[in-house]
Amino acid sequence: MNVLVLSGYGINCENETLHSFEVVGFKGKIVHINDLIQNPKQLNNYQVFAIPGGFSYGDDTGSGNAMAKKIMTNLYDQLIDFSLKDRLIIGICNGCQILINLGLIPSLNKKDPEVAMIENKSGSYECRWVDIKVSNNKSPWLKNISIMNLPVAHQEGQFMIPINLLKSVKANNLIGLQYINHHKKLAKGQFPFNPNGSKDDIAALTNQNGNILAMMPHPERAFYHYHIPNWQNTTSKKFGDGYKIFMNAKKFFA
Amino acid sequence: MTNTIQILSIVKTGKESSLQKEHNNKSIKIIDGYFFSTNLDDQKFTKISKLISNDVSQTILTKKNVNKVLSSYSNFNWVVEIKFLPGVTDNIATTVKEIIKDNLKSSFKSFELGSTKIILIKGRKEDITKISKNEANPLIQTIKIYSFKKYLNNFKKNQFKIEKVKLPKKKYSKKEINLDISDHQLSLIGKLGIEENDKSRRGTLGLDLESLKAIRNYFSTIKRKPTDVEIETLAQTWSEHCKHKIFSAKIDDIQEGIFKKYIKGATEKIIQLRKDNFCVSLFTDNAGGIEFNKDWIICHKVETHNTPSALDPFGGAITGIVGVNRDCLGFGKGAKPIANTYAYYLADPNKNYRLYRQKNNKDPMLPANFIAKGIISGVRVGGNCSGIPTPQGNVYFDNRFAGKPLVFCGTVGIIPKKIKGKLSHKKKANPGDIILMAGGRVGKDGIHGATFSSEELDPNSPVSAVQIGDPITQKKMSDVIIRELRDENLYSSITDNGAGGLSSSIGEMAKESGGFIVNLEKIPLKYNGLYPWEIWVSESQERMTLAVPPKNVKKVIKRFNARGVEATIIGKFIKKEKAIVKYNKIEILNLDMEFLHEGYPKLNLKTSFPKIKKEKKKIIKKSSMIDKLLKLLSSPNIVSKEFIATQYDHEVQATSIIKPLQGEGRVFGNATAIKPLFNDEKSIALSQAAYPQYAETNPYDMAGCSIDTAYKNLIVSGANSKKIAILDNFCWCSSDEPDRLYQLKEAAKACYDYAVAYQTPFISGKDSMFNDFKGFDKTGKSVKISIPPTLLISSIGVVDKISHLTKITPDDGDILLVLGATRNELQDSVYSKTIGYEKSKNPVVNSKDALRTYKNFEKANKLRIINSAIGIDLGGLGIAITKMAIASKKGLTIDLKLKNKISVDQFLFSETQSRILVSLKKNKLAKFKKIFRTSDYTIIGKCTGSNVIEFKDNKKIIRSKISDFAKSYKQKIKGL
Repeated sequence: MNVLVLSGYGINCENETLHSFEVVGFKGKIVHINDLIQNPKQLNNYQVFAIPGGFSYGDDTGSGNAMAKKIMTNLYDQLIDFSLKDRLIIGICNGCQILINLGLIPSLNKKDPEVAMIENKSGSYECRWVDIKVSNNKSPWLKNISIMNLPVAHQEGQFMIPINLLKSVKANNLIGLQYINHHKKLAKGQFPFNPNGSKDDIAALTNQNGNILAMMPHPERAFYHYHIPNWQNTTSKKFGDGYKIFMNAKKFFA
Repeated sequence: MTNTIQILSIVKTGKESSLQKEHNNKSIKIIDGYFFSTNLDDQKFTKISKLISNDVSQTILTKKNVNKVLSSYSNFNWVVEIKFLPGVTDNIATTVKEIIKDNLKSSFKSFELGSTKIILIKGRKEDITKISKNEANPLIQTIKIYSFKKYLNNFKKNQFKIEKVKLPKKKYSKKEINLDISDHQLSLIGKLGIEENDKSRRGTLGLDLESLKAIRNYFSTIKRKPTDVEIETLAQTWSEHCKHKIFSAKIDDIQEGIFKKYIKGATEKIIQLRKDNFCVSLFTDNAGGIEFNKDWIICHKVETHNTPSALDPFGGAITGIVGVNRDCLGFGKGAKPIANTYAYYLADPNKNYRLYRQKNNKDPMLPANFIAKGIISGVRVGGNCSGIPTPQGNVYFDNRFAGKPLVFCGTVGIIPKKIKGKLSHKKKANPGDIILMAGGRVGKDGIHGATFSSEELDPNSPVSAVQIGDPITQKKMSDVIIRELRDENLYSSITDNGAGGLSSSIGEMAKESGGFIVNLEKIPLKYNGLYPWEIWVSESQERMTLAVPPKNVKKVIKRFNARGVEATIIGKFIKKEKAIVKYNKIEILNLDMEFLHEGYPKLNLKTSFPKIKKEKKKIIKKSSMIDKLLKLLSSPNIVSKEFIATQYDHEVQATSIIKPLQGEGRVFGNATAIKPLFNDEKSIALSQAAYPQYAETNPYDMAGCSIDTAYKNLIVSGANSKKIAILDNFCWCSSDEPDRLYQLKEAAKACYDYAVAYQTPFISGKDSMFNDFKGFDKTGKSVKISIPPTLLISSIGVVDKISHLTKITPDDGDILLVLGATRNELQDSVYSKTIGYEKSKNPVVNSKDALRTYKNFEKANKLRIINSAIGIDLGGLGIAITKMAIASKKGLTIDLKLKNKISVDQFLFSETQSRILVSLKKNKLAKFKKIFRTSDYTIIGKCTGSNVIEFKDNKKIIRSKISDFAKSYKQKIKGL
């Protein structure tokens, strides 16, 4: 099981993302986007393609846009090819924004993006822990998980989906994760439970197949027990909730 | 054909909503504009707009749709167009150029473009003027206000323009400066700069008459005239900013100066006493290094960026944070930045000070809230975009920062002890090594930054000194250095280009080899037309200088280029102790290294005891204890700084283990911790402290309190007392006045005494000596505002085990205790400022008592006797109690059985140092008592788990809900 973790131009969560995959049993490599463009065939050596969080191109012209355009121009066909095989793709935070800008989620039919990531309703950057529930357990990334406590850290985390598309997203069960409140009920847009004002409290979307997951929260930052706020008050386990996502990837190939 | 692309969001953005809220709900729309230097045909327009916009969320304005689209939002009538002045870093434009270059392979003639923010409003002209004042800084941006009608006209007739940097084409001829002139003429060179042929002056050199005379003497012995480049270089190298002349000067009877005697002296004494390997690299490098574990070193550096932040708060602060990141990159062979710290000392953002740099209300200081907001966002963008967590910081408000804000930015780095078998903290540029400059290009930015930051802020402060950081360029460069070059030992030395630019970085590095030869024409420029001296001293950001053995040069350049980073050979290091600079083969600088670094005249300073200004006695208003607590909790220096913690990414790198917001009730903590390695359970605890409010009463005690608090916070968080190091950042005022120097000497003396007592070495430090504002008030009266002497002590310590990390939240049934005695020390406290004060004393640290408390605490904590703990500082015990309750959302009962003839107010609000509020499980009390028999403690109550805090006096019980306290504590700071 091999994972390719993308880096370059301001992506910055590659080390911890790779570490999380390695702990659950993957072998992996951080590959700079320029090296991947030089030699796209190396994708064949990997089962998982991960785009970690960060600030590619400083979020200029919209978060994830510039990197998505670079991939679209140079690697699009290879990535589509990868996604059509029995393989997994994950985009976390900036990676999620890149996948959305690539139009890989929610649909594969159109090359143009159908969803946009826009600025948080609060107008400010939000680094905070949120509770989320899994709304779609058919995606291999999300199997057998119900609720997670994970951190978000973003300026543009609001999913903007045209109404008609939202209907079919729901009909096809493509909402991956949703923000919930203290009572484990949907946040209904209420801040800070829903940190960015996303419609329907969406925190992640998947494609039809479920093998591509674009999520705004950071599972790699909630990987160990000691990552969780006020961990001193909870019973000592080794791992945090983020671990489950990476374990699911492992189980998929096991 | 058009020369502009303008894009707007279909729905209302967060930014638009918040602007609307600030401006009485006027309709507002923001357009992202891109102005091109050439016309785009329809095909190019379509292609480029598609590349830089989003179909789903945005609309692209065209001549056809502009009326219709904009009128669908509102009947706008005013417009402000904000864009960067020519030559100011425009990061968005850089990205757009890269996107176009990357994705449109078809030949596209070279073009310039600038990013613009266009704000439309339905309202009056006053409204748009007000918005422009809040959103733009005239020092770095052009602001054009016009009617909406004119905007539409501009749009249809291609009237949007970008201004390029247009510097006259100059043919360079070597310029020699005659120094055989009168003292008055000589002083003018120092104060106003070298005279150009047209009689204009270049801007301050910050050289005093004595220094200029020393330069004149040197050149008369070598029998030639100095060149302009030589004088500029000496001005940079000899600046207070680079040489710390005041700290190294003879002062009263201290021959060796206060740095050697008190700061370095303390560290040397400690090393002599300790006999361990904790101190690795001190004072000599860009940051100070200590041992983390057997394989790794951590380094820490804290810088200030005060003057630039006064002029351009966002640019000054972002440059401050990415600049100190480079200090870590330049530590040893290059440490990876793993945490940022910040501390801001600001004027009241809700107050309009109306200060002017020139008479008749000209050249105004920026408003206090603009400065505060700009600084906070500058560090946010710098830290977040670089992928470095920013967990630790604080903000302090005082009117005396109205003329100059203090912006402290710090970075912690980590590096393996050995790289390919060699010690990583040792580096040496060898003769023959190539000088390689990597990263950004050189422009006019920051010319004379080092010399002017050593001067007071007055009308002659040059505006070209402002720079804006570009964190993405730096991130790309940093990734190559740390991941692809360092561990193969491909270079022999590395340093940062900060203050003084290449003249400083190469000058410093060449000490390792002997000397250097640099060819200035090789240096890549942002635009043509720079004079050689400007290239040499420019402080353009995001650059590192490397010494590379010739055999590795090709490889190194190739690796930089493969990641989109420029790297250029600009000269070589030589053995001969000469500093040589050429421009197109003409030698324009040739100095002896010894003179360059040591030729400046040493100062001889005298101090005198200052007159203490007595604080006027204020009558204490009769109010209940609860009201006093609520008032203190909501006072700006105690109120929660959560709004900063949530906008600074403190989770990136997945290392955050003690977070800035603590407990379920989210209390802003005074120490944080990161666990930097996945395979070692050791953590790094960070804290900091400064007490400018104590300085005028007694600078010695002020410094003692800062060290004690910074140290205590780490002990409380669980750090190993033998693995704590500290950093000193002195920000002083009027350091040419004997009474300010007296305060400086006293504070430095305390640094020695307390550092030695606590066995905490100083590992790095910095000073900024002239934080004064000289100008005019709104009536035209001349005013001088000096900051209160501020000594920031930053502390860094190693926590050996996860189980040693503490929490601030007690559990039901816990007993509460105060460790350390409480004295009547309300002088200069938040209480005395907010509520009023009676005759009292200032807080004084008794290091022996303090150390007993800390030692016992450390022992008890390791044995897991302590259940929760919080350091007691601003606002005293009363505030610590309420913070514990707010954090845990658990009620507490406090028994006010007072000892030592102390009143209730003194007990609750005195800022007596070296105290810790702790809670224990009942069954641990016996063990606790055994350990603490050697130090003072008082049992003050217990955790009830209810929803109230209650205070029991002999006669009565006073109580209030935790939620009321929390509401006060979480109040928004007015003006922010």
